[in-house]
Amino acid sequence: MAFRRVPSWRRRTAGLALAVLALCAPVFSAGAAPLEWAVKATYLYKFVAFVDWPPGALGAPGEPVALCIVGPDPFGRQIDEAGAGQQIGDHPIEVRRLRQATRGSGCRVLYVRGGSNRAALAAVAGEPVLTVTDGGGGGVVRFLLTRDGKVRFSIDQAAAAANGLTLSSKLLAVAVRP
Amino acid sequence: MKPDIVRFSNEMRQFGLAVVSAIAVLLAGGLLGAKTEEAYRQRSVEQAKVQADILAAGVAGALAFDDQKTVGENVAAIRRNPQIAAVGVYDVTGVLKARSAASGATGPPDRAPPSSARFHRNGVVVASPVIQQGVRLGEVYLRTAPETLSDTLRRHGGLALLVIMAVMALALLARNTAELQRRSAALEDANLRLLREMDEKARAEEALRQSQKMEALGQLTGGVAHDFNNLLTVIMGGLETIGRAAPPQVGDPTSARLHRARDMALQAAQRAATLTSRLLAFARRQPLEPRAIDVNRMVSGLAELMRSTLGEAVQVETVLGAGTWLTLADIGQLESALLNLAVNARDAMPDGGHLTIETANAALDDAYVAAQSEPVAAGQYVMLAVTDTGVGMDKQTLEHAVEPFFTTKEVGKGTGLGLSQVYGFVRQSAGHIRIYSELGEGTTVRLYLPRYRAAEVAPEERTDEALPGLLVGDETVLLVEDHDDLRAHSAGLLRELGYRVIETADGPAALAALEDNPDIALLFTDVVLPGGMNGRQVADQARARQPGLKVLFTTGYTRNAIVHNGALDPGVQLISKPYSFSELAAKVRRVLDQ
Ligand SMILES: Nc1ncnc2c1ncn2[C@@H]1O[C@H](COP(=O)(O)OP(=O)(O)O)[C@@H](O)[C@H]1O
Ligand SMILES: [Mg+2]
Repeated sequence: MAFRRVPSWRRRTAGLALAVLALCAPVFSAGAAPLEWAVKATYLYKFVAFVDWPPGALGAPGEPVALCIVGPDPFGRQIDEAGAGQQIGDHPIEVRRLRQATRGSGCRVLYVRGGSNRAALAAVAGEPVLTVTDGGGGGVVRFLLTRDGKVRFSIDQAAAAANGLTLSSKLLAVAVRP
Repeated sequence: MKPDIVRFSNEMRQFGLAVVSAIAVLLAGGLLGAKTEEAYRQRSVEQAKVQADILAAGVAGALAFDDQKTVGENVAAIRRNPQIAAVGVYDVTGVLKARSAASGATGPPDRAPPSSARFHRNGVVVASPVIQQGVRLGEVYLRTAPETLSDTLRRHGGLALLVIMAVMALALLARNTAELQRRSAALEDANLRLLREMDEKARAEEALRQSQKMEALGQLTGGVAHDFNNLLTVIMGGLETIGRAAPPQVGDPTSARLHRARDMALQAAQRAATLTSRLLAFARRQPLEPRAIDVNRMVSGLAELMRSTLGEAVQVETVLGAGTWLTLADIGQLESALLNLAVNARDAMPDGGHLTIETANAALDDAYVAAQSEPVAAGQYVMLAVTDTGVGMDKQTLEHAVEPFFTTKEVGKGTGLGLSQVYGFVRQSAGHIRIYSELGEGTTVRLYLPRYRAAEVAPEERTDEALPGLLVGDETVLLVEDHDDLRAHSAGLLRELGYRVIETADGPAALAALEDNPDIALLFTDVVLPGGMNGRQVADQARARQPGLKVLFTTGYTRNAIVHNGALDPGVQLISKPYSFSELAAKVRRVLDQ
């Protein structure tokens, strides 16, 4: 966990040379449990397809759907690679990395890791945003790791309803009961 | 024969129709079967697709989020349907994630096959993508179990049964129709036969009616003619007596006028006698004296006479058959008949033409005889045909031509008794007459007279009636005549000839007179007598009493005891009424001198 966090943090905060960042990030990402993050990255995309979005929430055809990563980014390039060429219906997916979640940011999927959960979730409460949390409480979808290291998730339907979202029964069927 | 062929070809047509219909039904059945099969396959494919969709929906989430267990559950669930033989689920990279197959059945392919939905002989194969809101998540593969033979049979059996039943019904229908046609044809035949029989019956009735009419006419004319004959005998006798009693005085104009008047009256009476004789001929009551006749010789003689009397315009030709047989007939009547036909021919050819008289031997067979309305025996005949190229007759005229008094000629020209004489004579001679006529073409009258077989007897020449000098006598004559005037007239003639005459009016009186006068040499009796005895009976009884007695009959009316079929009994002497003085003189003398 620690060394995973360090390179990301360094990438984000330090005003170091791009080359260093570019060199370091792949090294760490590829190193520690890269599968977990790759799986989570693809799941984030796929979640979009299992949500009944309120009318107009995804904007006009062709408009990208924003997948926002708030706070430290644990995926690195993997998420961009997973999303390359992906479409949800007519909508391409655009990955945005935000320091902070704000109301009206246009995010449809909001991934928050760890402690910064509460503020971010509060910021988008009531908006048609599928909130995904990892390692902290709250949000509509919560990533979990099974004992054998498999990525699973649980669902909070009340939270979904609060954000005006209906989740596909297919998604519910594969979710872990909280 | 012909109706059979028609019937047969009809049946063939029926059969052909049935075959064509059966083929049509089979074709329709096959088409319908193919259609239902096609529909069934489509339905099967649709159903398999629905199953695939259900499976796809069930595994979409599990595929997306890599939930192997849920994928396996869904596969197991879908395989619970026994009609699904094999199932496979692949992830988006085409890797088989879960599979299930019935025991013995081939499993799903290892790699995801391209999307398709096809009907195979061994089941419907569907491969379709798993898509969630446009995101491809993987692939499902599904194959249904092949249909069992019993299911296929059940599916097509109903239609097949219907088609078979329809074909059988058609065959039955065709057979029934053919049978019906056969029956209606038989009915038609029967109807035709009935119509023919009715026709024949009508013809027979018509013929009977016709012959009855002729018979009735004969009775009537015969009766009238008989009475006329008696009267004419008196008239002619009276006129002859006047002539003899007052011989013409040379140079006396009154005497000359009287004799002219007498001659004219006598001629008229003779014409009247000819007419009554024709009437009698028609009535077949003319006394006939049949002799063997060589018709060729007779026709040759007559043709000469006709050439000189019929005029330049009419060409008379004769076509005489070689070896023509003899016939037995009254030569005088036959001559009259041929002359009557010649006169008719001339009348039919006012502008001239050809008159042909033919003779030939002829045989009338049973079929011909059966077809005639007048009775005629089958056998050998001598045929005489008189043909003209005249105006001919229409059907109506032809029908009535032989009836007495039927004429189309103007009053004074035609008597309507010519053909009646021919007809009556021929019939009385056991012959047959046939008239063929075509309007505008001409007429042929054929007379058939029975062949006479006694060929060794040379044909007799007609005895000449010429008077050989004195035909007088002084014998006693017993005269029996019921007609008072005629009796007085006959008695006067006989006395004039020198005979002693005893007059009686009936049989019993005559027999009584015979008792009283044994010197009677001749019984001269009418054939028809009142008082219970006819002339023949009187003659028989008289001869019994006086064996050497000579007998002479007279009659105008011959259908009775002495005349059989119009022919005199052998040895019987007869003088027909009306008779002239000279005829009577000759006849009485000849009988007495026998
Ligand atoms: N050779 C013929 N050609 C045309 N018509 C005929 C001939 N013979 C007879 N007929 C028709 O039959 C009718 C009767 O003939 P018949 O008995 O001889 O009487 P008649 O000659 O006095 O009229 C005739 O008036 C005539 O119309
Ligand atoms: Mg005539």
